[in-house]
Amino acid sequence: MNNTIAIALAVARKDLTSEWRTRELVPALAQFVVLALVIANFGFQIDAHNAPSIAPGVLWLALVFAGLVAFGRAFAAEREQSSLEAMLMTPASPVAIFAGKAIAATLLLVGCEVVLLPALTLFFGTPLTAQIVLAVLLATIGMAAVGCLFAAMVARVRARELLLPLLTLPLFIPFIVAGGQAVQVAMGGSGSSDQAIGLLVDFDILFVVLTSLAARFVLDE
Amino acid sequence: MSILVADGLTHWFGRDVALESIDLALDAGEHMAVLGENGAGKTTLLRILATAARPTSGRLEIMGLDALRERRRLRRKIGFVAHAPGLYPALTAKENLEFFCTLQDVSRARVAETLSLVGLTEVAGRPAGQLSRGMQQRLAIGRAILHDPKLLVLDEPDSSLGTDGPELLAAVMRDRTVVLATHDHALANKLCRRTLVLRHGRSLGTATRLHVVK
Repeated sequence: MNNTIAIALAVARKDLTSEWRTRELVPALAQFVVLALVIANFGFQIDAHNAPSIAPGVLWLALVFAGLVAFGRAFAAEREQSSLEAMLMTPASPVAIFAGKAIAATLLLVGCEVVLLPALTLFFGTPLTAQIVLAVLLATIGMAAVGCLFAAMVARVRARELLLPLLTLPLFIPFIVAGGQAVQVAMGGSGSSDQAIGLLVDFDILFVVLTSLAARFVLDE
Repeated sequence: MSILVADGLTHWFGRDVALESIDLALDAGEHMAVLGENGAGKTTLLRILATAARPTSGRLEIMGLDALRERRRLRRKIGFVAHAPGLYPALTAKENLEFFCTLQDVSRARVAETLSLVGLTEVAGRPAGQLSRGMQQRLAIGRAILHDPKLLVLDEPDSSLGTDGPELLAAVMRDRTVVLATHDHALANKLCRRTLVLRHGRSLGTATRLHVVK
């Protein structure tokens, strides 16, 4: 167990160190989410009345598409430099390797959210509350688990950029529904924020367990 | 005693046969070169022997274990240098090896020793992406022996190694069972006692020292 955790942390640290030194992904993703908000701001003619109904949708759209890029890169880069096979040729558990990749992808997306959430406040007047931050973080964990699993699955396929959204987007819907509800409540909408957060925790547990079980079969072949 | 026994290894890529009914037996400490033209099946055979790929049919036993079922256990005992170095370009040479120490569950004390053996001590702090092709190949060889494997599978390791490549390979092959694929017949003759010649996925036979099969 200790070894599994050590391997997962080493894989995550390796990915984060590589990103820190190359700065390939996070700056581009941060620019992408800000541009998405700017376009939505002009496209929807935002005012105080329609902001609460539009902002959650814009937030989750930006997050989902930024996530797809981040999760896709997690395994595509390994394939391109032929390093995934080198990792899998060790006795390290594929589940630990997958967990490390998912942790790194989660943290990279959190880095992007550090820009996204204040930008959302700026453009849409969304309050930056603990509930919204918590909802976004919880959704990120579950989406990273699902996204990284399918990214590993399609990494060796030529049409991976097309396949990844097709496979993952349907499974992101639960996070978007519950996360959207949490943001709407925080912006004065009806419903229970606790219920939405509870649902996100349930989805996280479900998807983290399922993807960990499936990772062995996806990575080992 | 045979450390590696292959029986009828066959591999298909779609409708094309890449390997056809390869039989092999290697004794502990034996060095065998695999020769053949491009597309002869050398890489496919080596990937199967290294447990990186599964054959379509056939049986493979390594160190008494079924290599198709006990792949993870065997990987503690196998070192593999693939065609591509497979390094992390943003990490330094030292960091690359330290990372694999964690994955192999071996002490990081092995890193300095390994860097010295493959002649990379002076560039240990340089990112792998900034190393020359030959240095990257040395680093990949270092990674393969980090966990002191008993069986070493080397797929054209001599590419871009430089003039002292044969000496380096001889040093890492010492006291290990080795399967080495190469186009260099002289190198094969120098480093290996046995050769296996492949053509169109079929074995043209094994021989002690080099018998060039036309």
